Amino acid sequence: MVHPMDTLTRRGRAVRVLGTVLAAALLLAGTLWGQDDDFPFGPFRMYAGSNPPNDPAPDTRVEGVDTTGAMVPLDEASTGIRRAEIEGQQGRYAADPALLREVADAYAQRHPAAPALVEVRIVIRWYDIQGGRPTGRSSDETVVSWRAS
Amino acid sequence: MAGILSGASRWLTEPVPRGRVAAFRTLVYLFVAADLVVFTPWVRTHGSVPGELYQPLLIGRLLPLPTPTPLLVNGIFWALLVLSLAAVTGRAPRALGWAVFLLYFEWMIIAMSYGKVDHDRFGFLVALAVLPTAGRARHGDRTLTEAGGWALRVTQIAVVCTYFLAAWAKLRFGGPGWMVGSVLARAIIRRGTELADLIAQVPHLLIAAQFGIIAFELLSPLVFVVPARWRLAVVGFFYSFHVVTIATITISFAPHLVAMTSFLPLERVRPVEWCRRPLRQHATPAVDGEPVAGREPAVPQAPAAGAGPVAAPPAADSAATPAVEAAPAPVVGDVPPAGAAAVP
Repeated sequence: MVHPMDTLTRRGRAVRVLGTVLAAALLLAGTLWGQDDDFPFGPFRMYAGSNPPNDPAPDTRVEGVDTTGAMVPLDEASTGIRRAEIEGQQGRYAADPALLREVADAYAQRHPAAPALVEVRIVIRWYDIQGGRPTGRSSDETVVSWRAS
Repeated sequence: MAGILSGASRWLTEPVPRGRVAAFRTLVYLFVAADLVVFTPWVRTHGSVPGELYQPLLIGRLLPLPTPTPLLVNGIFWALLVLSLAAVTGRAPRALGWAVFLLYFEWMIIAMSYGKVDHDRFGFLVALAVLPTAGRARHGDRTLTEAGGWALRVTQIAVVCTYFLAAWAKLRFGGPGWMVGSVLARAIIRRGTELADLIAQVPHLLIAAQFGIIAFELLSPLVFVVPARWRLAVVGFFYSFHVVTIATITISFAPHLVAMTSFLPLERVRPVEWCRRPLRQHATPAVDGEPVAGREPAVPQAPAAGAGPVAAPPAADSAATPAVEAAPAPVVGDVPPAGAAAVP
């Protein structure tokens, strides 16, 4: 059974081929030389980092202490900031710990009635890995902290 | 050389039924709405994150896009929700399609400009960018379209690039050592399920899986050269890979999975038609008390007045295509003039 067909004009075909080649070139260049900053043409680097088989694995979290002394987990639900976003900007926080005040502000914005935070810290739990397999042992390290003055 | 070029251009624009474009369009725009409220609702929270934490991507600096505020983020959210649901209908495919693409692209720039870029939606962004060029398409329409064929083809290419170039990135950033490193063990520690914890106990399994992932990603372009009858099986294998990643490290790649439906004969999936058919049969009482066999097609949509109960046999090449039954051939002139119908 033969069906009718919409064909492309010569120009329509040429524009599409050209667009395909251009986008493919950008994507290829992004993969070869680009970084995440070049979104959407950056390299597909999800889980592309390599770690020696016995390197411990970091599990990052942000926590705060409020005026009552209670510990408050500052996760995505309580601040609107994803864990990977904290990790992605960890260098900025380390260089300027006062930037953690912005995390406290994000928390306050979403919890106007809650006691204010007086301390915010980024903690990494290092999980031990041997031969590419987790051993179940871990230790905590506070990498950046900020205290309200 | 000219032969290769024209062959490549013909492959890029290999025609598909308009009904497939219509179904893909509906699915893609439905996903935009679902993405806003179900899959990546966290993008909206960026409206209330202090502007100090906004680190615009290159494209955000070039254009230059404004620092997100609650007003901007909520404005885009609601506009995108309304426009994407309007686009689901297939009406005004160009105007609505371009509007949804631009808004969703800005939505993703807002999503990725706070220190983490996700890599799960290149194919989906390509689908949104090309669907407005595919022209009008009605569900069930079997007319072939080259413009629609190109839209689906470049989406498929983007999907395969997501795999193939991911292997390339692993070799670029991780080096060959990636395969014998501890990347999966790390992923399981950070976001693994109980199933993953069990798997992690099996000696060497995670390392073997890392070799498997690189092999699968490097070989993924073969989907374009395997015989057509194997193609769906290969795409099925792609999907099964994601079932495993969801079950072990809770990474869904949902937009990528939607873009990958560009490989499927979506025109055969007609949920609205399937729901309508029993209703229509119910509304048309069987003549002479003779029940209509369940698998027979429903009464043709435009029966000639007074004509006998001629059941149109399903076309030979479409036994599995429920779409044909309700889709009269769209060609003008196919319908006989009114007077002719009365001839016995």
